[in-house]
Amino acid sequence: MTSVQPDILKGLSEEEASRFLALGIPTSLAARQTLFRLGTEADKAYLVMRGRIALTLPIQLRGGEEEVLVEEKEAGETVGWSGLVPPHRFTLNAAAAISTELLAFSRASVLEHFAAHPAVGHTVTRNLAAVIGHRLHVFQTMWLREMQRVVEQRYS
Amino acid sequence: MVMFLSLMIMSLLAVALCAVAFAAATRDEGQPAPQPERKLVLERPRFFAAPATKPAEAPLPVELLVSQIERHVRLEQAAAEAYLDRPTRDALHSRTASPFLN
Repeated sequence: MTSVQPDILKGLSEEEASRFLALGIPTSLAARQTLFRLGTEADKAYLVMRGRIALTLPIQLRGGEEEVLVEEKEAGETVGWSGLVPPHRFTLNAAAAISTELLAFSRASVLEHFAAHPAVGHTVTRNLAAVIGHRLHVFQTMWLREMQRVVEQRYS
Repeated sequence: MVMFLSLMIMSLLAVALCAVAFAAATRDEGQPAPQPERKLVLERPRFFAAPATKPAEAPLPVELLVSQIERHVRLEQAAAEAYLDRPTRDALHSRTASPFLN
């Protein structure tokens, strides 16, 4: 168990958090082992318990394709929320940067749990929205910075 | 007397031949073709030797290029996070030490 409070469980009581964590199926990855691939169907979300997951995007370089590291997720952080949010397709590649342990939450079990415990569902969904919203803001800002530079290069 | 006349005629003939030869030699010499103006270009004196011609840059190895892209992404993410912590116009367009921007 991670000593860090998982980001999606903030605001839950210990009992609620324990019951939710019990839904997760322990999963181990060796270093460099793939967790999921961009474009594939997403039916699970993951919570990193130990180790590190590297999120990468393919980029075309000199006629070949290279994986560029975009973000790393550590213990207590959620990976693969596309498994819970439509259209349920992964939009990044994920692989273990080092030997890593995760809890895998199937969409079906999570939705069933939320139906039985709506208050937990509300809190976890809010936490998930915060994780997604933060990434949206970061990438929106990065896009705006790049656009500013493109405009300066083209029209200055 | 005959000898004197013979010498005089031969001398006249020789002078005439020289005149014809001179005229033929100078007939085609017209105006000289205009030559492009030549300027003497002097390099400005300088203290240091002229810089060597820059050789064509070898393309960066792909691994190095990928690491530069990843560094750019990390720095830009950090700059974006800093902007989100304290949104100001200056923070939005702050410059990073990214190898792609310097």
